[in-house]
Amino acid sequence: MQPVPSMGYDRAITVFSPDGRLFQVEYAREAVKRGTTSLGIRYKDGVVLCVDKRITSRLVEAKSIEKIFQIDENIGAATSGLVADARVLIDRARVEAQTNRVTYDEPIDIEILAKKMCDFKQLYTQHGGVRPFGIALLIAGVNDTPRLFETDPSGALIEYKATAIGAGRATAMEIFEDKYREDMTKDEAIELALTVMNEVTEGRMTEETIEVAVIELETKEFRKLTPEEVKKYISKVKKKEPPKGEE
Amino acid sequence: MGDEKLFEIYAKEQWMGNTISVGDYLFDQRIIPDFAFKVIKVIPRGEVTITEDTRIRLKGDERREIKGIRYTFSDIVGHSEVKKKCKIIIKYLRNPNTFGEWAPKNVLFYGPPGTGKTMTAKALATETDSSLYLIRATDLIGEYVGDGAKKIHELFKKASSTAPSVIFLDELDAIGLDRSYQVIRGDVSEVVNALLTELEGLHENKGVVTIAATNNPAILDYALRSRFEEEMEFKLPNPKERLEILRKYSKKLPLKLEADIREYVGKTEGFSGRDLKEKLLKAALHRAILEDSNVITQKHLEDAFKAVPPKSSPPKEMFT
Repeated sequence: MQPVPSMGYDRAITVFSPDGRLFQVEYAREAVKRGTTSLGIRYKDGVVLCVDKRITSRLVEAKSIEKIFQIDENIGAATSGLVADARVLIDRARVEAQTNRVTYDEPIDIEILAKKMCDFKQLYTQHGGVRPFGIALLIAGVNDTPRLFETDPSGALIEYKATAIGAGRATAMEIFEDKYREDMTKDEAIELALTVMNEVTEGRMTEETIEVAVIELETKEFRKLTPEEVKKYISKVKKKEPPKGEE
Repeated sequence: MGDEKLFEIYAKEQWMGNTISVGDYLFDQRIIPDFAFKVIKVIPRGEVTITEDTRIRLKGDERREIKGIRYTFSDIVGHSEVKKKCKIIIKYLRNPNTFGEWAPKNVLFYGPPGTGKTMTAKALATETDSSLYLIRATDLIGEYVGDGAKKIHELFKKASSTAPSVIFLDELDAIGLDRSYQVIRGDVSEVVNALLTELEGLHENKGVVTIAATNNPAILDYALRSRFEEEMEFKLPNPKERLEILRKYSKKLPLKLEADIREYVGKTEGFSGRDLKEKLLKAALHRAILEDSNVITQKHLEDAFKAVPPKSSPPKEMFT
Protein backbone atom coordinates (compact mmCIF):
# COMPACT_ATOMS: atom_id res chain seq x y z
CA MET A 1 0.00 0.00 0.00
CA GLN A 2 1.41 3.33 -1.01
CA PRO A 3 1.09 6.14 1.48
CA VAL A 4 -1.48 8.73 0.54
CA PRO A 5 -0.83 11.13 3.37
CA SER A 6 -2.99 14.08 4.20
CA MET A 7 -5.85 13.02 1.95
CA GLY A 8 -4.20 14.52 -1.10
CA TYR A 9 -3.90 18.01 0.25
CA ASP A 10 -0.36 17.96 -0.99
CA ARG A 11 -1.41 17.44 -4.59
CA ALA A 12 -2.71 20.87 -5.44
CA ILE A 13 -0.94 23.89 -4.11
CA THR A 14 -4.05 25.99 -3.90
CA VAL A 15 -5.78 23.71 -1.41
CA PHE A 16 -5.33 24.14 2.30
CA SER A 17 -5.12 21.04 4.47
CA PRO A 18 -7.63 20.97 7.34
CA ASP A 19 -5.00 22.31 9.69
CA GLY A 20 -4.19 25.22 7.44
CA ARG A 21 -1.07 24.05 5.72
CA LEU A 22 0.02 24.27 2.12
CA PHE A 23 2.00 21.12 1.66
CA GLN A 24 3.41 21.84 -1.81
CA VAL A 25 4.88 25.08 -0.53
CA GLU A 26 6.40 23.24 2.40
CA TYR A 27 7.87 20.70 0.00
CA ALA A 28 9.40 23.53 -1.99
CA ARG A 29 11.22 24.54 1.17
CA GLU A 30 12.64 21.02 1.25
CA ALA A 31 14.08 21.62 -2.22
CA VAL A 32 15.91 24.59 -0.75
CA LYS A 33 17.49 22.30 1.84
CA ARG A 34 18.81 20.12 -0.97
CA GLY A 35 20.95 23.01 -2.10
CA THR A 36 24.32 23.70 -0.55
CA THR A 37 24.72 26.36 2.08
CA SER A 38 24.56 30.06 1.32
CA LEU A 39 24.89 32.66 3.99
CA GLY A 40 24.81 36.38 4.50
CA ILE A 41 26.19 38.54 7.27
CA ARG A 42 25.54 42.22 7.82
CA TYR A 43 28.36 44.06 9.49
CA LYS A 44 29.06 47.63 10.51
CA ASP A 45 29.92 48.94 7.04
CA GLY A 46 28.47 46.47 4.60
CA VAL A 47 27.14 43.03 3.83
CA VAL A 48 28.93 39.78 3.06
CA LEU A 49 27.54 36.92 1.01
CA CYS A 50 29.28 33.57 1.09
CA VAL A 51 28.39 30.32 -0.66
CA ASP A 52 29.61 26.76 -0.76
CA LYS A 53 29.57 25.32 -4.27
CA ARG A 54 29.20 21.63 -4.85
CA ILE A 55 31.81 20.44 -7.31
CA THR A 56 30.80 16.88 -8.13
CA SER A 57 33.73 16.08 -10.36
CA ARG A 58 37.12 17.53 -11.10
CA LEU A 59 36.00 17.86 -14.70
CA VAL A 60 33.46 20.48 -13.73
CA GLU A 61 34.42 24.04 -14.52
CA ALA A 62 33.87 25.54 -11.06
CA LYS A 63 33.16 28.98 -12.48
CA SER A 64 30.04 27.69 -14.23
CA ILE A 65 28.35 26.85 -10.97
CA GLU A 66 26.68 30.03 -9.93
CA LYS A 67 25.30 30.72 -6.52
CA ILE A 68 26.10 34.40 -6.08
CA PHE A 69 24.63 36.80 -8.59
CA GLN A 70 24.96 40.51 -9.05
CA ILE A 71 21.53 42.15 -9.33
CA ASP A 72 22.53 45.77 -9.60
CA GLU A 73 25.58 47.95 -8.86
CA ASN A 74 24.84 47.82 -5.17
CA ILE A 75 22.89 44.59 -4.83
CA GLY A 76 23.80 40.92 -4.85
CA ALA A 77 21.92 37.70 -4.21
CA ALA A 78 22.91 34.25 -3.04
CA THR A 79 20.72 31.24 -3.76
CA SER A 80 20.05 27.74 -2.48
CA GLY A 81 17.78 25.22 -4.14
CA LEU A 82 16.83 24.51 -7.73
CA VAL A 83 19.36 26.12 -10.05
CA ALA A 84 16.98 26.75 -12.90
CA ASP A 85 14.40 28.41 -10.67
CA ALA A 86 17.12 30.59 -9.23
CA ARG A 87 18.09 31.91 -12.61
CA VAL A 88 14.51 32.83 -13.48
CA LEU A 89 14.20 34.78 -10.26
CA ILE A 90 17.56 36.46 -10.68
CA ASP A 91 16.63 37.60 -14.19
CA ARG A 92 13.43 38.98 -12.79
CA ALA A 93 15.28 40.80 -10.02
CA ARG A 94 17.69 42.36 -12.51
CA VAL A 95 14.82 43.61 -14.63
CA GLU A 96 13.10 45.06 -11.56
CA ALA A 97 16.30 46.86 -10.60
CA GLN A 98 16.78 48.31 -14.06
CA THR A 99 13.11 49.28 -14.36
CA ASN A 100 13.48 51.25 -11.17
CA ARG A 101 16.57 53.02 -12.50
CA VAL A 102 14.86 53.92 -15.78
CA THR A 103 11.66 55.06 -14.07
CA TYR A 104 13.05 56.95 -11.10
CA ASP A 105 16.67 57.50 -12.05
CA GLU A 106 17.93 55.98 -8.83
CA PRO A 107 18.98 52.53 -7.63
CA ILE A 108 16.16 50.41 -6.26
CA ASP A 109 15.67 50.18 -2.52
CA ILE A 110 16.77 46.73 -1.29
CA GLU A 111 13.60 46.24 0.71
CA ILE A 112 11.39 47.16 -2.25
CA LEU A 113 13.26 44.73 -4.46
CA ALA A 114 13.00 41.95 -1.89
CA LYS A 115 9.28 42.56 -1.53
CA LYS A 116 8.81 42.53 -5.30
CA MET A 117 10.59 39.20 -5.52
CA CYS A 118 8.39 37.84 -2.77
CA ASP A 119 5.23 39.07 -4.46
CA PHE A 120 6.36 37.20 -7.54
CA LYS A 121 7.05 34.03 -5.60
CA GLN A 122 3.74 34.29 -3.81
CA LEU A 123 1.86 34.21 -7.14
CA TYR A 124 3.17 30.70 -7.61
CA THR A 125 1.53 29.50 -4.42
CA GLN A 126 -1.95 30.74 -5.22
CA HIS A 127 -2.53 29.90 -8.87
CA GLY A 128 -3.64 26.65 -10.39
CA GLY A 129 -1.30 24.71 -12.65
CA VAL A 130 1.92 26.21 -11.39
CA ARG A 131 4.42 25.05 -8.84
CA PRO A 132 6.26 27.18 -6.30
CA PHE A 133 9.86 28.18 -6.82
CA GLY A 134 12.15 25.66 -5.15
CA ILE A 135 14.55 28.36 -4.19
CA ALA A 136 15.40 30.69 -1.35
CA LEU A 137 17.20 33.95 -2.00
CA LEU A 138 19.44 36.02 0.20
CA ILE A 139 19.19 39.53 -1.13
CA ALA A 140 21.94 41.76 0.15
CA GLY A 141 22.80 45.30 -0.68
CA VAL A 142 23.52 48.82 0.45
CA ASN A 143 21.34 51.90 0.04
CA ASP A 144 21.97 54.22 2.96
CA THR A 145 22.59 51.30 5.26
CA PRO A 146 23.53 47.70 4.62
CA ARG A 147 20.48 45.41 4.32
CA LEU A 148 20.08 41.66 4.18
CA PHE A 149 16.82 39.86 3.33
CA GLU A 150 15.90 36.23 3.16
CA THR A 151 13.03 35.16 0.92
CA ASP A 152 11.59 31.67 0.98
CA PRO A 153 9.46 29.73 -1.55
CA SER A 154 6.20 30.83 0.08
CA GLY A 155 7.11 34.44 -0.54
CA ALA A 156 7.82 35.10 3.11
CA LEU A 157 10.33 37.83 3.76
CA ILE A 158 12.49 38.40 6.79
CA GLU A 159 15.31 40.85 7.30
CA TYR A 160 18.28 39.41 9.11
CA LYS A 161 21.54 40.50 10.64
CA ALA A 162 23.00 37.15 9.71
CA THR A 163 21.29 34.19 8.14
CA ALA A 164 21.84 31.06 6.10
CA ILE A 165 19.84 28.95 3.65
CA GLY A 166 20.37 25.48 2.25
CA ALA A 167 21.69 22.27 3.73
CA GLY A 168 23.79 23.77 6.50
CA ARG A 169 21.25 26.27 7.78
CA ALA A 170 20.77 24.77 11.22
CA THR A 171 24.49 24.55 11.93
CA ALA A 172 25.07 28.04 10.60
CA MET A 173 22.33 29.64 12.65
CA GLU A 174 23.66 28.02 15.77
CA ILE A 175 27.09 29.51 15.18
CA PHE A 176 25.61 32.91 14.32
CA GLU A 177 23.55 32.96 17.51
CA ASP A 178 26.73 32.40 19.40
CA LYS A 179 29.28 34.51 17.58
CA TYR A 180 27.53 37.29 15.68
CA ARG A 181 28.21 40.87 16.73
CA GLU A 182 26.83 43.96 15.05
CA ASP A 183 30.06 45.92 15.26
CA MET A 184 32.14 43.46 13.25
CA THR A 185 34.57 44.67 10.63
CA LYS A 186 34.61 43.35 7.08
CA ASP A 187 37.44 40.95 7.84
CA GLU A 188 35.72 39.67 10.94
CA ALA A 189 32.47 39.13 9.04
CA ILE A 190 34.21 37.18 6.28
CA GLU A 191 36.08 35.14 8.84
CA LEU A 192 32.83 34.33 10.65
CA ALA A 193 31.29 33.30 7.32
CA LEU A 194 34.20 31.00 6.59
CA THR A 195 34.16 29.59 10.11
CA VAL A 196 30.59 28.52 9.43
CA MET A 197 31.52 27.14 6.02
CA ASN A 198 34.38 25.22 7.57
CA GLU A 199 31.91 23.62 9.94
CA VAL A 200 29.21 22.76 7.38
CA THR A 201 31.65 21.40 4.81
CA GLU A 202 33.48 19.51 7.54
CA GLY A 203 36.71 21.21 6.69
CA ARG A 204 36.51 20.58 2.96
CA MET A 205 36.56 24.13 1.72
CA THR A 206 38.92 25.56 -0.84
CA GLU A 207 39.05 28.76 -2.82
CA GLU A 208 37.50 26.79 -5.68
CA THR A 209 34.39 25.77 -3.79
CA ILE A 210 33.86 28.89 -1.73
CA GLU A 211 32.72 32.14 -3.17
CA VAL A 212 32.52 35.41 -1.29
CA ALA A 213 30.98 38.70 -2.31
CA VAL A 214 30.97 41.99 -0.43
CA ILE A 215 28.96 45.15 -0.77
CA GLU A 216 30.57 47.93 1.22
CA LEU A 217 28.78 51.01 2.49
CA GLU A 218 31.64 53.24 1.37
CA THR A 219 31.74 52.21 -2.28
CA LYS A 220 28.16 50.91 -2.55
CA GLU A 221 29.47 48.45 -5.06
CA PHE A 222 28.98 44.74 -5.35
CA ARG A 223 32.31 42.95 -5.60
CA LYS A 224 33.18 39.26 -5.73
CA LEU A 225 36.43 38.41 -4.01
CA THR A 226 39.11 36.87 -6.20
CA PRO A 227 40.12 33.27 -5.47
CA GLU A 228 43.45 34.57 -4.13
CA GLU A 229 41.70 36.78 -1.60
CA VAL A 230 39.37 33.94 -0.59
CA LYS A 231 42.34 31.65 -0.20
CA LYS A 232 43.97 34.05 2.22
CA TYR A 233 40.88 34.21 4.39
CA ILE A 234 40.43 30.44 4.26
CA SER A 235 43.95 29.69 5.43
CA LYS A 236 43.54 32.24 8.21
CA VAL A 237 40.33 30.58 9.42
CA LYS A 238 41.74 27.09 9.08
CA LYS A 239 44.79 28.06 11.09
CA LYS A 240 42.58 29.38 13.85
CA GLU A 241 40.41 26.28 13.88
CA PRO A 242 42.40 23.26 12.88
CA PRO A 243 40.20 20.59 11.31
CA LYS A 244 38.90 18.15 13.85
CA GLY A 245 40.89 14.98 13.32
CA GLU A 246 39.56 11.53 14.04
CA GLU A 247 40.31 10.21 17.43
CA MET B 1 -4.70 -22.39 20.75
CA GLY B 2 -6.32 -20.70 23.67
CA ASP B 3 -8.48 -23.46 25.03
CA GLU B 4 -6.54 -26.45 26.36
CA LYS B 5 -9.51 -28.78 26.71
CA LEU B 6 -10.70 -28.03 23.22
CA PHE B 7 -7.24 -28.76 21.93
CA GLU B 8 -7.15 -32.07 23.77
CA ILE B 9 -10.38 -33.20 22.14
CA TYR B 10 -9.20 -31.98 18.80
CA ALA B 11 -5.85 -33.73 19.20
CA LYS B 12 -7.26 -37.04 20.33
CA GLU B 13 -9.73 -37.10 17.51
CA GLN B 14 -7.06 -37.15 14.89
CA TRP B 15 -4.13 -38.85 16.54
CA MET B 16 -5.80 -41.60 18.53
CA GLY B 17 -3.93 -44.84 18.11
CA ASN B 18 -0.69 -43.23 17.02
CA THR B 19 2.43 -44.51 18.71
CA ILE B 20 4.88 -41.75 19.45
CA SER B 21 8.11 -41.01 21.25
CA VAL B 22 10.05 -37.86 22.09
CA GLY B 23 11.09 -35.92 19.03
CA ASP B 24 8.32 -37.15 16.76
CA TYR B 25 6.11 -34.78 14.87
CA LEU B 26 2.36 -34.98 14.84
CA PHE B 27 0.94 -33.39 11.75
CA ASP B 28 -2.25 -31.47 11.95
CA GLN B 29 -4.64 -32.92 9.43
CA ARG B 30 -7.66 -30.76 9.99
CA ILE B 31 -7.13 -27.05 10.16
CA ILE B 32 -3.63 -26.32 9.02
CA PRO B 33 -2.32 -29.30 7.05
CA ASP B 34 1.34 -28.25 7.02
CA PHE B 35 1.44 -27.50 10.69
CA ALA B 36 3.04 -30.04 13.01
CA PHE B 37 3.35 -30.44 16.75
CA LYS B 38 6.58 -31.73 18.19
CA VAL B 39 6.47 -34.27 20.94
CA ILE B 40 8.54 -32.83 23.76
CA LYS B 41 7.87 -35.18 26.59
CA VAL B 42 6.02 -38.45 27.07
CA ILE B 43 5.03 -40.18 30.29
CA PRO B 44 5.90 -42.98 30.76
CA ARG B 45 9.22 -42.72 28.98
CA GLY B 46 9.81 -44.46 25.71
CA GLU B 47 7.13 -45.22 23.16
CA VAL B 48 3.56 -44.46 24.00
CA THR B 49 0.28 -44.88 22.19
CA ILE B 50 -2.38 -42.21 22.29
CA THR B 51 -5.56 -43.64 23.77
CA GLU B 52 -8.82 -42.34 25.10
CA ASP B 53 -7.21 -41.75 28.51
CA THR B 54 -4.08 -39.99 27.31
CA ARG B 55 -3.76 -36.41 28.45
CA ILE B 56 -2.34 -34.08 25.90
CA ARG B 57 -0.84 -30.81 26.97
CA LEU B 58 0.29 -28.10 24.68
CA LYS B 59 3.52 -26.43 25.56
CA GLY B 60 3.33 -23.58 23.14
CA ASP B 61 5.14 -20.44 24.05
CA GLU B 62 4.60 -17.36 22.01
CA ARG B 63 7.69 -15.82 23.36
CA ARG B 64 10.25 -15.62 20.64
CA GLU B 65 13.64 -16.79 21.72
CA ILE B 66 16.48 -14.57 20.79
CA LYS B 67 18.55 -16.80 18.65
CA GLY B 68 21.86 -16.33 16.99
CA ILE B 69 23.94 -13.29 17.67
CA ARG B 70 23.49 -11.56 20.98
CA TYR B 71 23.93 -7.84 20.95
CA THR B 72 24.88 -5.50 23.73
CA PHE B 73 24.69 -1.74 23.87
CA SER B 74 28.39 -1.49 23.17
CA ASP B 75 27.69 -3.04 19.77
CA ILE B 76 25.45 -0.18 18.88
CA VAL B 77 27.27 2.72 17.31
CA GLY B 78 25.88 6.17 18.00
CA HIS B 79 22.25 6.55 19.11
CA SER B 80 23.38 7.79 22.52
CA GLU B 81 19.95 9.23 23.37
CA VAL B 82 18.32 5.89 22.66
CA LYS B 83 20.80 4.09 24.84
CA LYS B 84 20.08 6.52 27.67
CA LYS B 85 16.38 5.85 27.37
CA CYS B 86 17.01 2.11 27.38
CA LYS B 87 19.01 2.48 30.55
CA ILE B 88 16.10 4.27 32.17
CA ILE B 89 13.84 1.45 31.09
CA ILE B 90 16.21 -1.14 32.54
CA LYS B 91 16.34 0.80 35.81
CA TYR B 92 12.58 0.95 35.91
CA LEU B 93 12.21 -2.74 35.24
CA ARG B 94 14.60 -3.61 38.04
CA ASN B 95 12.58 -1.58 40.46
CA PRO B 96 9.10 -0.78 39.14
CA ASN B 97 7.85 0.75 42.37
CA THR B 98 10.18 3.74 42.53
CA PHE B 99 8.71 5.38 39.45
CA GLY B 100 5.02 5.17 40.29
CA GLU B 101 2.90 6.93 37.73
CA TRP B 102 5.98 8.48 36.17
CA ALA B 103 7.18 5.20 34.80
CA PRO B 104 8.40 4.90 31.22
CA LYS B 105 5.64 3.13 29.34
CA ASN B 106 5.62 3.47 25.61
CA VAL B 107 8.50 4.41 23.38
CA LEU B 108 8.51 4.64 19.60
CA PHE B 109 11.62 3.96 17.56
CA TYR B 110 11.52 5.24 14.04
CA GLY B 111 13.94 5.73 11.21
CA PRO B 112 15.10 4.26 7.92
CA PRO B 113 15.57 0.49 7.68
CA GLY B 114 18.87 -0.93 8.86
CA THR B 115 19.64 1.78 11.38
CA GLY B 116 19.54 -0.48 14.44
CA LYS B 117 15.99 -0.39 15.78
CA THR B 118 15.61 -4.14 16.15
CA MET B 119 19.24 -4.47 17.17
CA THR B 120 18.64 -2.07 20.04
CA ALA B 121 15.70 -4.17 21.16
CA LYS B 122 17.89 -7.26 21.09
CA ALA B 123 20.56 -5.46 23.07
CA LEU B 124 17.93 -4.46 25.58
CA ALA B 125 16.99 -8.12 25.85
CA THR B 126 20.60 -9.05 26.55
CA GLU B 127 21.18 -6.35 29.11
CA THR B 128 18.01 -6.74 31.09
CA ASP B 129 16.94 -9.78 33.02
CA SER B 130 13.24 -9.09 32.59
CA SER B 131 11.20 -11.01 30.07
CA LEU B 132 11.17 -9.65 26.59
CA TYR B 133 8.51 -10.27 24.01
CA LEU B 134 9.82 -9.69 20.53
CA ILE B 135 6.71 -9.53 18.43
CA ARG B 136 6.40 -8.85 14.76
CA ALA B 137 3.39 -6.65 14.39
CA THR B 138 2.10 -8.80 11.55
CA ASP B 139 1.85 -11.73 13.96
CA LEU B 140 -0.86 -9.84 15.75
CA ILE B 141 -3.19 -9.90 12.79
CA GLY B 142 -5.34 -12.96 13.20
CA GLU B 143 -7.10 -15.19 10.79
CA TYR B 144 -10.57 -14.10 11.70
CA VAL B 145 -12.07 -10.78 12.59
CA GLY B 146 -11.60 -10.34 16.30
CA ASP B 147 -8.49 -12.48 16.46
CA GLY B 148 -6.13 -9.53 16.30
CA ALA B 149 -7.65 -7.69 19.21
CA LYS B 150 -7.75 -10.87 21.25
CA LYS B 151 -4.12 -11.59 20.52
CA ILE B 152 -3.08 -8.15 21.63
CA HIS B 153 -5.01 -8.37 24.87
CA GLU B 154 -3.53 -11.78 25.52
CA LEU B 155 -0.04 -10.52 24.80
CA PHE B 156 -0.35 -7.69 27.27
CA LYS B 157 -2.00 -9.91 29.84
CA LYS B 158 0.84 -12.36 29.54
CA ALA B 159 3.46 -9.62 29.73
CA SER B 160 1.71 -8.26 32.77
CA SER B 161 1.75 -11.63 34.47
CA THR B 162 5.46 -12.04 33.86
CA ALA B 163 6.25 -8.43 34.80
CA PRO B 164 8.70 -6.81 34.73
CA SER B 165 8.69 -7.24 30.99
CA VAL B 166 9.33 -5.44 27.73
CA ILE B 167 7.18 -5.82 24.65
CA PHE B 168 8.92 -4.95 21.42
CA LEU B 169 6.54 -4.49 18.52
CA ASP B 170 8.48 -4.49 15.29
CA GLU B 171 7.05 -2.97 12.10
CA LEU B 172 4.25 -1.25 13.92
CA ASP B 173 3.09 0.47 10.75
CA ALA B 174 1.76 -2.88 9.55
CA ILE B 175 -1.02 -2.72 12.11
CA GLY B 176 -1.10 0.77 13.50
CA LEU B 177 -2.29 2.34 10.29
CA ASP B 178 -3.76 5.77 10.03
CA ARG B 179 -7.53 6.04 10.03
CA SER B 180 -7.72 6.87 6.36
CA TYR B 181 -6.27 3.43 5.58
CA GLN B 182 -8.47 1.68 8.04
CA VAL B 183 -11.28 2.21 5.56
CA ILE B 184 -9.41 -0.07 3.17
CA ARG B 185 -8.30 -2.54 5.80
CA GLY B 186 -11.28 -2.90 8.10
CA ASP B 187 -9.61 -5.56 10.20
CA VAL B 188 -6.84 -3.20 11.16
CA SER B 189 -9.11 -0.80 13.01
CA GLU B 190 -9.89 -3.35 15.69
CA VAL B 191 -6.18 -3.97 16.16
CA VAL B 192 -5.52 -0.26 16.45
CA ASN B 193 -8.27 0.11 19.00
CA ALA B 194 -6.99 -2.82 21.00
CA LEU B 195 -3.51 -1.31 20.99
CA LEU B 196 -4.90 2.04 22.02
CA THR B 197 -6.56 0.65 25.11
CA GLU B 198 -3.55 -1.42 26.06
CA LEU B 199 -1.05 1.37 25.59
CA GLU B 200 -3.25 3.81 27.41
CA GLY B 201 -3.13 1.55 30.43
CA LEU B 202 -6.84 1.03 30.83
CA HIS B 203 -5.74 -2.31 32.06
CA GLU B 204 -3.03 -1.63 34.51
CA ASN B 205 0.02 -3.10 32.88
CA LYS B 206 2.39 -2.36 35.68
CA GLY B 207 5.99 -3.17 34.98
CA VAL B 208 5.35 -3.50 31.27
CA VAL B 209 7.21 -1.27 28.86
CA THR B 210 6.21 -1.23 25.22
CA ILE B 211 8.68 -0.30 22.55
CA ALA B 212 7.42 -0.08 19.01
CA ALA B 213 9.48 0.34 15.86
CA THR B 214 8.50 1.62 12.46
CA ASN B 215 10.09 2.84 9.28
CA ASN B 216 7.27 5.17 8.51
CA PRO B 217 5.84 7.03 11.49
CA ALA B 218 3.87 9.32 9.19
CA ILE B 219 1.31 6.66 8.36
CA LEU B 220 0.66 5.69 11.97
CA ASP B 221 -2.68 6.40 13.52
CA TYR B 222 -2.34 9.75 15.25
CA ALA B 223 -4.08 8.59 18.42
CA LEU B 224 -1.78 5.61 18.54
CA ARG B 225 1.23 7.79 17.97
CA SER B 226 0.23 10.14 20.74
CA ARG B 227 0.32 7.23 23.19
CA PHE B 228 4.07 7.11 22.92
CA GLU B 229 5.69 9.32 25.49
CA GLU B 230 8.86 9.53 23.50
CA GLU B 231 9.73 9.16 19.84
CA MET B 232 13.33 8.34 19.17
CA GLU B 233 14.72 8.80 15.72
CA PHE B 234 17.29 6.42 14.32
CA LYS B 235 19.25 8.39 11.79
CA LEU B 236 21.54 7.12 9.09
CA PRO B 237 25.10 7.03 10.42
CA ASN B 238 27.33 10.04 9.89
CA PRO B 239 30.88 9.57 8.53
CA LYS B 240 32.38 9.05 11.97
CA GLU B 241 29.79 6.47 12.89
CA ARG B 242 30.22 4.74 9.55
CA LEU B 243 33.92 4.35 10.24
CA GLU B 244 33.19 2.90 13.65
CA ILE B 245 30.59 0.51 12.24
CA LEU B 246 32.98 -0.62 9.52
CA ARG B 247 35.73 -1.13 12.08
CA LYS B 248 33.48 -3.08 14.40
CA TYR B 249 32.24 -5.42 11.74
CA SER B 250 35.57 -5.88 10.02
CA LYS B 251 36.97 -7.19 13.29
CA LYS B 252 34.33 -9.88 13.24
CA LEU B 253 35.01 -10.97 9.65
CA PRO B 254 36.25 -14.54 9.36
CA LEU B 255 38.92 -13.48 6.88
CA LYS B 256 41.47 -10.77 7.44
CA LEU B 257 40.62 -7.50 5.83
CA GLU B 258 43.65 -6.09 4.08
CA ALA B 259 42.14 -2.93 2.80
CA ASP B 260 41.73 0.62 3.89
CA ILE B 261 38.17 0.95 5.11
CA ARG B 262 38.63 4.67 5.69
CA GLU B 263 38.37 5.13 1.97
CA TYR B 264 34.78 3.91 2.07
CA VAL B 265 33.65 6.24 4.81
CA GLY B 266 33.26 9.13 2.43
CA LYS B 267 31.88 7.03 -0.38
CA THR B 268 29.14 5.38 1.62
CA GLU B 269 27.05 8.46 2.29
CA GLY B 270 23.47 7.34 2.82
CA PHE B 271 24.37 3.76 3.74
CA SER B 272 22.72 2.38 6.84
CA GLY B 273 24.56 0.21 9.34
CA ARG B 274 23.01 -2.83 7.77
CA ASP B 275 24.00 -1.72 4.28
CA LEU B 276 27.60 -1.41 5.40
CA LYS B 277 27.57 -4.88 6.84
CA GLU B 278 25.46 -6.74 4.30
CA LYS B 279 26.12 -4.94 1.08
CA LEU B 280 29.73 -3.96 1.50
CA LEU B 281 31.58 -6.20 3.95
CA LYS B 282 29.57 -9.36 3.41
CA ALA B 283 29.69 -9.01 -0.36
CA ALA B 284 33.45 -8.44 -0.20
CA LEU B 285 33.88 -11.47 2.02
CA HIS B 286 31.87 -13.63 -0.37
CA ARG B 287 33.98 -12.45 -3.26
CA ALA B 288 37.12 -13.35 -1.35
CA ILE B 289 35.79 -16.80 -0.45
CA LEU B 290 34.76 -17.40 -4.04
CA GLU B 291 38.32 -16.75 -5.14
CA ASP B 292 39.70 -18.97 -2.37
CA SER B 293 41.59 -16.00 -1.09
CA ASN B 294 42.82 -15.92 2.50
CA VAL B 295 42.36 -12.21 2.86
CA ILE B 296 39.88 -9.67 1.72
CA THR B 297 41.72 -7.26 -0.50
CA GLN B 298 41.01 -3.73 -1.57
CA LYS B 299 39.80 -5.11 -4.87
CA HIS B 300 37.17 -7.32 -3.26
CA LEU B 301 35.91 -4.38 -1.32
CA GLU B 302 35.92 -2.12 -4.34
CA ASP B 303 34.04 -4.65 -6.47
CA ALA B 304 31.49 -5.13 -3.71
CA PHE B 305 31.05 -1.41 -3.42
CA LYS B 306 30.57 -1.00 -7.14
CA ALA B 307 27.91 -3.70 -7.17
CA VAL B 308 25.76 -1.80 -4.68
CA PRO B 309 22.95 -0.21 -6.62
CA PRO B 310 23.08 3.55 -6.15
CA LYS B 311 20.44 4.98 -3.88
CA SER B 312 17.99 7.11 -5.69
CA SER B 313 18.78 10.66 -4.83
CA PRO B 314 17.81 13.69 -6.82
CA PRO B 315 20.35 14.68 -9.45
CA LYS B 316 22.77 16.95 -7.66
CA GLU B 317 23.19 19.11 -10.71
CA MET B 318 19.64 20.36 -10.28
CA PHE B 319 20.47 22.01 -7.01
CA THR B 320 23.00 24.59 -6.00
